Amino acid sequence: MSAEPRSLARRLFEPASIDSQAPVARIVTYALLFLWTLVVVIPLYWVFITSFKGPGEVDNGPFYLPFVDFAPSLQAWDFMLVQNYTLRPYTNSVVVAVASTLLAVLIGSLAAYALVRIRFQVKLAAVAIFLILLTAIIVAVATFGVQWEIAVAVAAALFIIALFTLVGRTRLAVGNNDIEFWIISNRIMPPIVAVLPIYVMFQQMRLLDTQLALIVTYTAINLPIVVWLTRDFFAGIPLDLEESAQIDGASKFRVFFTIALPLVRSGLVATFLLVLILAWNEYLLALFLSNADAQTMPVLVSAQNTTRGPQWWNMSVLITVMIAPVIVISSILQKHIARGLLVGAVKG
Amino acid sequence: MRVTLSDIYKSFGAIEVVKGLDLEIQDGEFLVLLGPSGCGKTTALRMVAGLESVSSGRVLIGDRDVTHVLPKYRDVAMVFQSYALYPHMTVAENIAYPLKLRGVPRTERDASVRGAAVKVHLEEFLDRYPRQLSGGQRQRIALARAMVRRPSVFLMDEPLSNLDAKLRGHMRSELKRLQADLGVTTIYVTHDQIEAMTLAHRVAIMNRGVVQQIATPRQIYDDPANLFVAGFIGSPPMNFLQGELVEGTFVCAEGRFATSVAESRKKVTAGLRPEDCRVTGPSEGKIAARVYAVELIGDHTLITCQFGGATVTVKADKSAHYDMDEPIGITFQDSAVFLFDSETGGRIGGRARGEAAA
Repeated sequence: MSAEPRSLARRLFEPASIDSQAPVARIVTYALLFLWTLVVVIPLYWVFITSFKGPGEVDNGPFYLPFVDFAPSLQAWDFMLVQNYTLRPYTNSVVVAVASTLLAVLIGSLAAYALVRIRFQVKLAAVAIFLILLTAIIVAVATFGVQWEIAVAVAAALFIIALFTLVGRTRLAVGNNDIEFWIISNRIMPPIVAVLPIYVMFQQMRLLDTQLALIVTYTAINLPIVVWLTRDFFAGIPLDLEESAQIDGASKFRVFFTIALPLVRSGLVATFLLVLILAWNEYLLALFLSNADAQTMPVLVSAQNTTRGPQWWNMSVLITVMIAPVIVISSILQKHIARGLLVGAVKG
Repeated sequence: MRVTLSDIYKSFGAIEVVKGLDLEIQDGEFLVLLGPSGCGKTTALRMVAGLESVSSGRVLIGDRDVTHVLPKYRDVAMVFQSYALYPHMTVAENIAYPLKLRGVPRTERDASVRGAAVKVHLEEFLDRYPRQLSGGQRQRIALARAMVRRPSVFLMDEPLSNLDAKLRGHMRSELKRLQADLGVTTIYVTHDQIEAMTLAHRVAIMNRGVVQQIATPRQIYDDPANLFVAGFIGSPPMNFLQGELVEGTFVCAEGRFATSVAESRKKVTAGLRPEDCRVTGPSEGKIAARVYAVELIGDHTLITCQFGGATVTVKADKSAHYDMDEPIGITFQDSAVFLFDSETGGRIGGRARGEAAA
């Protein structure tokens, strides 16, 4: 018996079997992939070759191929890396990004784990009274000149009295979901809103233009992302495993570090990389909080837009050295990223 | 070590799951908590483990009150239905984990792990990961991990339910042997009556958070305390007929037969085990019925009979053959009839059969 004959249109638009692709679909797929590859690769290529150009090649361009339509020079590389001290902002970027990411992932995953495994019930009344007293302290100190130690002591006493008298009678409480939403909502607010208060705070603390200020700030703004991403990984760990470990003699922290963390490793690596890139690329806060000592790479890049116009060749050098480590790390961690954020947690 | 639960209550919100549980498990005893799902048996076990707090009541292990003691200080080991093996650790690391947490030195630890692995025939697989092993092997890792630190009490929560039927039978006998060899007090939760009957020294049958009967498997089978126990134990289950008792004779709409209880009462349920019944000619039986269905099981045949609105299953010889709707009689001894109060479910006439067997 011969195969059922198929019309030309069917042969083009329908797959030959259930596990293959139709010819047209295959052509469209590869065409789109090729297009997207161009979109991704051409800017990278352009930045890379621009770093070997000088003002002449940029202004009279476009030139596409080194050695063919322009003579590459190491002038910009020499200027940025040898004559100028680029190493310092580079070190700043590395220290700030790595330290803040480590902190954010550690604190954030602990918070996420607690939110998944421990049930919190905070009385709404307690939260409200706390906020009212906090406002009262600020008003008392700022407007009426009360000594802050006294104001805090009085407020703390009032709060404790309220906890034991009023709060117990109320019913409304804040649960895990509310806490989680509150943490994540911190990231919904645009950072520019908080930039000035943060600036003033570090000014008062005399920490402006230090790595510490940037590390603390980056940790804080990236915490919500870590909590948001990692909570699902922890929720995916079967409770049996943790209960078994507890019966076997492990404390909650021990369970976290020896059972929970290793099981969500892939997801954690992906989260780490995402947060690292966010911190590595952060511009706005760095612009405000640093100027000379703690300056990071993104700020230095934008500083190449000088009064003499943008120095494209210098900028390209900086961008190239900024992109390189990200590409390297991503390639190394690729297998974790691929399954990390989607599958996330446990495989038996 | 002896385990004592006294007057334990447990509620989750408004739902009371365990109601006044009293259990005393002797040193070295294998006690099975048996019951349908949602009867509170797993909650009871988790309260012994310390994974669940008690709403009221006391838990004692030996003479020590552990009611408010963290799981890790109770010196119990638990085997979970899912085995709860740590996927990122090798078999050896899994088994060693409880020892590691207790700060047992490395050489001693390795020896203990090897010893435990030998007991469950896993010594060749110590370097593998759980995911590389079969269900039965994983089950054995869990057992090895539980016994490696010689706990006072084993707690097992349906440890065999995830295995296929053949393996389950095999592991059942291994488990029984292991517990006998180690002599460690064991509390075992299951909904499977075969596991309960085969493994237990004593079975505690629970329903709706209340223990219905605590006795040896034989007593539970031969002398059930109430309607629930009688209906839960036995496969195929006991036949029940509704009627009343008139001076020792059970009377129902479909017929009457003598019992060994000389009493008169209304609203009585009579229970008959399928294997206590025999099929006879239509006029010779105590009950006249007709055949509804005949099922050959292998070593025996189940004959489902109808009389009036009631159904009675009879376990017959494997060579038995009857046609559908064939009129037959069913006969049994007077003493084979179990009688229960239909309203309270309580047993009427504590019975000679159980005493004779004891």
